[in-house]
Amino acid sequence: MTSALLLVKISWRNLWRNPRGTLLTALALGLGLALLLISLGLLDGGHEQTIADGVRFGPGHVVIQAKGYQDSGSDELLLPVQVVSRIEEFLQTADMKPVVRGVSPRLLATGLLSSSANSAGVRIMGVIPQDEPAVSFIPQRIVEGTYLSSGKPSGVVIGAELARKLEVKIGSRVVLMTQALRQPEIETKNGAGAEMQSTLLRVSGIFHTGLEAVDANIIQLPLPAAQTLLGVPDGQVTQVALLLQQEGESPLVARALRKQLTGAPVEVLTWRESIPMLAQILGLDHAFNYIMNGVIMAMVGLGILNTILMRVLERRYEFGVCKALGLRPRQLAVMVIGESLALTAISLALGLVLGLSVERYFATSGLDLRWIFRTGLPAALVFDPILYSRLSLNRIVWSVSIVFMMATIISFYPALKAARTELPDALKVL
Amino acid sequence: MKATVKEWAVELKNVSKTYRTGPIEVPALRGVSLQIAAGEFAATAGPSGSGKTTLLNIIGGLDRADVGGIWVAGQNLQLLSSGELAHLRLQRIGFVFQTYNLLPVLTALENAEFTLLLQGVPADKRREKVRKLFSEIGLAGLEDRRPAELSGGQQQRVAVARAMVTEPALILADEPTANLDSATAIALLDVMEHLNRVTGTTFIFSTHDPQVMERAHRLIRLRDGQIASDETHERQGARVTARGDAG
Repeated sequence: MTSALLLVKISWRNLWRNPRGTLLTALALGLGLALLLISLGLLDGGHEQTIADGVRFGPGHVVIQAKGYQDSGSDELLLPVQVVSRIEEFLQTADMKPVVRGVSPRLLATGLLSSSANSAGVRIMGVIPQDEPAVSFIPQRIVEGTYLSSGKPSGVVIGAELARKLEVKIGSRVVLMTQALRQPEIETKNGAGAEMQSTLLRVSGIFHTGLEAVDANIIQLPLPAAQTLLGVPDGQVTQVALLLQQEGESPLVARALRKQLTGAPVEVLTWRESIPMLAQILGLDHAFNYIMNGVIMAMVGLGILNTILMRVLERRYEFGVCKALGLRPRQLAVMVIGESLALTAISLALGLVLGLSVERYFATSGLDLRWIFRTGLPAALVFDPILYSRLSLNRIVWSVSIVFMMATIISFYPALKAARTELPDALKVL
Repeated sequence: MKATVKEWAVELKNVSKTYRTGPIEVPALRGVSLQIAAGEFAATAGPSGSGKTTLLNIIGGLDRADVGGIWVAGQNLQLLSSGELAHLRLQRIGFVFQTYNLLPVLTALENAEFTLLLQGVPADKRREKVRKLFSEIGLAGLEDRRPAELSGGQQQRVAVARAMVTEPALILADEPTANLDSATAIALLDVMEHLNRVTGTTFIFSTHDPQVMERAHRLIRLRDGQIASDETHERQGARVTARGDAG
């Protein structure tokens, strides 16, 4: 025990024989940890944000839609009225109410929106104005005018990019033309094609999300107006989108809904199933990030190995003296490992201070990537270009443990070298 | 491991050692037989390459002989494992090196108590022994200085203290005065001779220094890996017994 304390003392003092070298090495390892913490924070924050944005600009954490809609994308596939009622009733139960944050029935279709200046293809979303804000980000991103309300049945909100293209502003009149989803019975019998419908709408709000896919394509109008335009009976919708309190509860809620709707011609999908490309991109991003972190840590590790090894080789003679005096190989190894661990402890402290400071900055001020994503993102990658870091305690503990383990393992080789100091070769004389 | 000849502190029987570097073979010791009694103050001398360093290395268990038997403190070194050799060095042998070889990160006192610490001696006892020894050899007041803050003579005295403090049966000193000026060398020899007289510890030097040769009670001259002469001095400067050339 006493000799262990002596070895620790020698290890610690050895570190400060060359303070500049020690600090530089500690800084290199600390920088490795800091980079790890920063990148993990941005990765987790980015993913959390991307999922939140993806579900809130898209179909929510869980979506219920007619069977086959996910694969076919056919807007003619609608949820039966009775199913919608069953969903709404189930979501009001004591089990579901606490976990569900918002429910929004939506009627979806494609159409052509025209102004006096221009026309553009659009994705029509018929929504209930009171329900949609609890699920979607669009109502929160109104930059001009106001969001939809039941009192304005002919109101429409459009994206800033679309408004620019159509050269419209608040109060402008636009014509929405689309194909009816449900034909009057007589025309269907005659074999006539689907009837084109149009309606005059007034721009009540313009939203800006920063995402071109959303800002240039999506329009929202009150559900009754959309149902009338598309010839859909009252109560029928394309999907019911749910936003949950916790993203992690998506599979549980989806399973409960599937059980509840057994036998109904519906599909209940979590966001991973309804936006599979987003899930894949995030998975790929995770893998890539781990590889990058692995490369950074390997480089830092090699630097540490080099430093410790040089320190050991420089002191071969000293180790020879210690061994001649009766220090056993194991004790020499402990001395070198102790030195390495002391260096690691300093590095971890530096890395934590540096990494957590930068992480805190990105957690509060965010990392603005708008200059990169000014134009065109993949349709599935709905992405808020300002990244906010989110770093959990688990991640910090994990990162520190990884760096600590790496440094410990790396120190074994120099320790082995020290332990194997050959006598009398290590001593120039005697 | 029983002592075969208890009266000898060191006994070598027909010891040979050859160093090999690729195809080149350099014989360092050739059939050396030697006995050194407990309490002797002996020196080995000879030109470079005569084998005196190899002889000390083998006696100290730092190197192994190719053939022959070496007994130190009653133990046949050829039969000991490297761990057992380390234990023997720690418990029974003290070393004084030409270049002092103090650990630069430890103070004079910590350096001197290093081997005691490895032996597991309690702190108060360690400090007491080191302080006593320091005052005997003129190092009192220098306990807290690091080696870099000591003169060469002071450093070598700390090295002697480190070697002596465990009260070993044998101290091996390799050219201990080589880096010291004449006055400091004499002072160091005074210290070592005093300790030899007071404690009865056996000292074996290797040296080129005529002063050491003069002060040694026994002078073993080596040439080409063999003992060329072995003389005993009854007192400083008076050569009384010649053991003759040994093989």
